[in-house]
Amino acid sequence: MKSTLLATVCASALVSGAVCAQDLKFAPGEDARFNWASYEDYAAKYNLDGQTLTVFGPWRGEDQALVESMLAYFTAASGVTVKYSSSENYEQQIVIDTQAGSPPDIAVLPQPGLIADLASKGLLTPLGDETQGWLKDNYAAGDSWVSLGTYKGKDGAPALYAFPYKIDVKSLVWYVPENFEDAGYEVPQTMEELKALTEQIVADGGTPWCIGLGSGGATGWPATDWVEDMMLRTASPETYDKWVSNEIPFTDPAVVGAIDEFGWFARNDKFVDGGAAAVATTDFRDSPKGLFASPPKCYMHHQASFIPSFFPEGTKLGVDADFFYMPAYAGKDLGKPVLGAGTLAMITKDGEASRAFIEWLKTPIAHEVWMAQSGFLTPFKAANPEAYGNGALKKQGEILLNSTTFRFDGSDLMPGKIGAGAFWTGMVDYAGGKSAADVAAAVQAEWDAIK
Amino acid sequence: MVTGPKSSFGWVVHLSVVVFVALWMLPTVGLLVSSFRDKDQISVSGWWTALSTSSQNLVFRAPAGDGEEVVNGRYVLKGSVLDGASGQVSAFGFSSREPAAFAPGTVADLKDGVTLTVAGDGAFELSGPASFAEGRGQRIFYTAEVPPRFTLENYRNVLTASGLGRSFLNSMTVAIPSTVIPILIAAFAAYALAWMPFPGRSLMIAAVVGLLVVPLQMSLIPLLKIYNSVGQALGFDPKSYIGIWLAHTGFGLPLAIYLLRNYMAGLPREVMESARLDGATDFQIFTRIVLPLSFPALASFAIFQFLWTWNDLLVALVFLGPQDDKLVLTGRLVNLLGSRGGDWDILAASAFVSIAVPVLVFFAMQKFLVRGLLAGSVKGG
Amino acid sequence: MSQLWAALATIVIGISGAALYFWGSNLLLDRIYPARAADTATASRNIARAALIRPWLFLGPAILALTLYLVYPVIASLWLSLHDRSGENFVGLANYRWLFGDAGFRESMFNNFLWLLVVPAASTFLGLIAAALTDKIAWGNLAKSLIFMPMAISFVGAAVIWKFVYDYRAEGSEQIGLLNAIVVALGGTPEAWIATPFWNNFFLMAILVWIQTGFAMVILSAALRGIPEETIEAAVLDGASGLQIFFKIMVPQIWGTIAVVWTTITITVLKVFDIVLAMTNGQWNSQVLANLMFDWMFRGGGDFGRGATIAIVIMLLVVPIMVWNIRNARKEMEGR
Repeated sequence: MKSTLLATVCASALVSGAVCAQDLKFAPGEDARFNWASYEDYAAKYNLDGQTLTVFGPWRGEDQALVESMLAYFTAASGVTVKYSSSENYEQQIVIDTQAGSPPDIAVLPQPGLIADLASKGLLTPLGDETQGWLKDNYAAGDSWVSLGTYKGKDGAPALYAFPYKIDVKSLVWYVPENFEDAGYEVPQTMEELKALTEQIVADGGTPWCIGLGSGGATGWPATDWVEDMMLRTASPETYDKWVSNEIPFTDPAVVGAIDEFGWFARNDKFVDGGAAAVATTDFRDSPKGLFASPPKCYMHHQASFIPSFFPEGTKLGVDADFFYMPAYAGKDLGKPVLGAGTLAMITKDGEASRAFIEWLKTPIAHEVWMAQSGFLTPFKAANPEAYGNGALKKQGEILLNSTTFRFDGSDLMPGKIGAGAFWTGMVDYAGGKSAADVAAAVQAEWDAIK
Repeated sequence: MVTGPKSSFGWVVHLSVVVFVALWMLPTVGLLVSSFRDKDQISVSGWWTALSTSSQNLVFRAPAGDGEEVVNGRYVLKGSVLDGASGQVSAFGFSSREPAAFAPGTVADLKDGVTLTVAGDGAFELSGPASFAEGRGQRIFYTAEVPPRFTLENYRNVLTASGLGRSFLNSMTVAIPSTVIPILIAAFAAYALAWMPFPGRSLMIAAVVGLLVVPLQMSLIPLLKIYNSVGQALGFDPKSYIGIWLAHTGFGLPLAIYLLRNYMAGLPREVMESARLDGATDFQIFTRIVLPLSFPALASFAIFQFLWTWNDLLVALVFLGPQDDKLVLTGRLVNLLGSRGGDWDILAASAFVSIAVPVLVFFAMQKFLVRGLLAGSVKGG
Repeated sequence: MSQLWAALATIVIGISGAALYFWGSNLLLDRIYPARAADTATASRNIARAALIRPWLFLGPAILALTLYLVYPVIASLWLSLHDRSGENFVGLANYRWLFGDAGFRESMFNNFLWLLVVPAASTFLGLIAAALTDKIAWGNLAKSLIFMPMAISFVGAAVIWKFVYDYRAEGSEQIGLLNAIVVALGGTPEAWIATPFWNNFFLMAILVWIQTGFAMVILSAALRGIPEETIEAAVLDGASGLQIFFKIMVPQIWGTIAVVWTTITITVLKVFDIVLAMTNGQWNSQVLANLMFDWMFRGGGDFGRGATIAIVIMLLVVPIMVWNIRNARKEMEGR
């Protein structure tokens, strides 16, 4: 049954003689939210039947099904058979494969720090001026995306090596609306209000926050998001950029101040579920569950947009749980900064199909089919916001649009040894009681060691 | 069998073994119990609580208007908070601040003239002047005595994963030759190192010990480079089964040679000398006498090597690749986890799925772990 | 189905290929230097020549595989350790100088030393006890399988298992970690076991001991069963007690095997990183050498120079064990 249905869809939809390899989630031409014209134009332009493309990415489990649903359209339009693969330790895998000379055609990675390293070793292919211009013109705040994808090559000359595709918003606070209603709390609009609410909840006998830094080998990373968010709310974006590139040291008062801002929340026994001692060891995947306990173990949880996959089964976003923008200080004139993260696609083995894939990412349809499902945000202006699959995504899209400053996750931008090492360890030590100044000094010492 | 003196403290031995086994099993039992538990429960309460009836604070969301009836001008919504499961409600409430404010059977007044009552068996009745279709559906908090609840869902998720059968075969294809080939090669080498005099023998033994410590991670990139250039020169895919067999062979050899040499060196000298006097060559001595005598050592190494190759993920990903058609079982199971890998339910169930084969191998090999064919009479020199 | 046949075929080809080599090469050697020659002089010369060559025939494939898969990477590491992070520019001994000034390295050395003291001793001892006890009882094989089971669990599985043992929840909330639940039940306060510097090393070690005991038990049990019954019977007749027999008669006879197990586990400890990576990744002062190496090798694109330097240090640490093993081997041969 299914195959006949599929065959008709394929036969009717395909303009080119492309292969209909996989189930297309949304029948081409049918849903008006999608930009089918871009799909057909692309299909008319590319006919690479019989070629194959290996794509290596960070997405596994449910996310893998999502990316594969998008890749199915690429296959249908271009005729290229795609082999997607991922691995638990994709970071290590990509280093081994590229170093040894057997890379995938396309790699998609979430860490600019790692990409910078690959580029400097000459393992990536520049995407060219045309793509650079395209990003600049077609992505909202295009310049910042171009600079995110630009790295120094082996010759030391900067060039665009990576194409940002799929972003996550990190400046979110998750809560249970009905728990707020039961207690008569309002969603805070400013950081001052958020702090007042935190104290209010304690005064009412509750616990405001669930914070968990545990993540096995990566323990500590959720705290880096906190610090980055606080940094953007207490210092200028330029200071943030200088911090990330270590133009100002980790021991700069702005950085130490941001760490202590995080400490205001996390190092107060009354503010966090389980007390400050539990922060470092509670697993980040388990900590949001406190929101849903009866009676609630906490009222708020700061985490990026992916976290609903760790909510209890059956939790409906917008009903059982919701989020608000992590507000900024009204007293500090820093606008509405948003911290985000995302994945970047790069060519690790040049070829016709690889190039065609980067071109594919420039079509609205490549964004819309994922937007219409879950967990996908895009700064691509031509992608139809109506295509967002649920209210939560749309709301995150709005937070992104309303932001006055967008900054990429700093720990991802720092060199791997710092952003995925010393910074984490430092935050674990800080949660354990070490002073912010000592922690900052230790991280800076490590940074000096790798220069 | 080595039988100790039949002494009065025989039961002490039994008891000690029971304690030993219990201690060693306890952590694993925790995982086993967890693998049958509901995903949300695993990280909320200890696994041992799953075995007995427990008092839990739960939340039920009444449907938003679905199934409501109008009785005497009031909208009435009925149902059960337990939703078909068994249990006994001991308290209920409608606010997260007081989730256990009311005893079962009492009527709670919500705002705007809405009343709620929950009976001990979980049946609730929500009644109000307006339809419940507006809004999200009332949350009902309740405390219930819940009997142990187990699910096969986790195993179903793991066992029905697409491509699992294929990955199982891939793992077999990787593991069996990767176990047999090193044993074969190591047995010959071990015999040479134990019983054939030649210059530099003790240096060779030391080298084998030294190579035991080479970190695997260190070798991956240089080796993959060789694989790639050989593959390019001869025009075939460098990521092949032969490649991974040889890799596992190389990595497993030092331990195999070391263990087997130690065992063979302990074999009685007289047997070999008498065979040599009878005109047997080294090859014959090796295949007819040493090999059968070394069965326990061969079997124990086989078990370990099989285990390592079966549980290995790193070597398989590097030398065979992460592509769907070549993915080994460990890789497949790990891919079931989300990108952030926190699904304890799948982790727990898949750990037991992947453990099944090695444990079967252990059972099958166990009879070879008793001493060799000439047992009893041979050792003693 | 076709995959099954292809797999079977490749398995058969792979294994018979290896078997064919040994059989064929020996046949060839016997043909070239026949032991049953016409005159005894030729025959004995032939035997002598064959005896000179045969060890290398036996060792050949092993040497080949070891050279390619282990010796060559060691040389490559040595070369890399003298180069910078990209592996291209020669930096002399800069990496070694850096290493000895690095606080992370000193911490790892200290922790590794602790591991080396505790884990091989504990695993071997417990393995020996387990082997001796299970050999005496009817359901010993079942008991063995159960004690052996941790060996069969992958590291991912082991990490989850021990999460459910060491998990820490704040005082007052329900503990889901077994250890803390017991502590609380006995009236104590829960501890964050994994996050307590210094002591967390021992909790991580417990995991490796838990795994390696099965290994020690299997090897030692095979050795125990090889002890001739006559020696034990004689001791029984002399009126020795069970414990006396075990420590005075049985243990000395399998001393060689105990040393082998000890050595093997010591080397495993030097290489251990999966447990540390999965449980703490070296945080809370629990870093060990192998994980430090892994960290430098692969994190953030990797620094091959420094990673290789740490690997070389790990390999150097094994030298005393090598020397000790050479001595043992020499002694063995002399005793023969």
